[in-house]
Amino acid sequence: MKELIEYIAKSIANNPDAVVVTEEREDGDDERVTLKLQVDPEDMGRVIGKQGRVAQAMRTLLRVKAVKEGVRVNLEIG
Amino acid sequence: MEVLKKGRPGFLGLGAEEATVRVTKRSAEAEPASVILAEEILEKLLALMKIRASVGLKQPSPQEGAGGLAPIALEITGEDLGILIGRRGQTLSSLQYLVYLMVSQQMKARVSVTIDVEGYRERREAALRNLAQRMAEGVKASRQSVTLEPMPPRERRLIHLALQDYPDVVTQSIGEGEDRKVTILYKKE
Repeated sequence: MKELIEYIAKSIANNPDAVVVTEEREDGDDERVTLKLQVDPEDMGRVIGKQGRVAQAMRTLLRVKAVKEGVRVNLEIG
Repeated sequence: MEVLKKGRPGFLGLGAEEATVRVTKRSAEAEPASVILAEEILEKLLALMKIRASVGLKQPSPQEGAGGLAPIALEITGEDLGILIGRRGQTLSSLQYLVYLMVSQQMKARVSVTIDVEGYRERREAALRNLAQRMAEGVKASRQSVTLEPMPPRERRLIHLALQDYPDVVTQSIGEGEDRKVTILYKKE
């Protein structure tokens, strides 16, 4: 899961080396995945976007993958 | 054209060296760096999303791309790609927006990118023009306004443009954000 967000964030950040994505999985009836995206403070605006447009687009693509894998996924930024 | 070695004029024709240049013919096959990059990025994203599909170049529409780098139009082909389009084309819009940001960031310039999936955009545009005509006819005949379903900005624009010269009706967008929709009104004399 996290590779997708890592790839997107590194490609749009001015400081790709500071991009870190961590993944936590909670098993249960429905498996939940929580991704945490951390970037250089200067890049926060780039990965969130105006009115959260970039974050929203990343979540939309993430959902496609989650549906295919049958998990619930959550993306936190910051 | 690229200069590989600069010539030297020499002295009185002595010791003169000819310049060597490489001439690249600009053909349809020669893809600019931005296009190759866009294709690579899209392929990588699809692979990371575990979607099996192929990416190809689509001929961009000529009205696009005023100034700057040439607009890029990509087409994704494959089977069962409805999941890539999403409700009201939302997933496709997200994909297109991210590829645009990623390519622009790496080219250090704004590059217009449009992505289509199995001709979806063209089919949708034709369907919307058709809908606009039918609805306008209805409004003209009944003199009653009609409100269409919510649509993204690009699709609303298409409806406005399709009906701008249609007699006796005017179009207007109402509502906010996700819920914004086009209303076709009967124009009173």
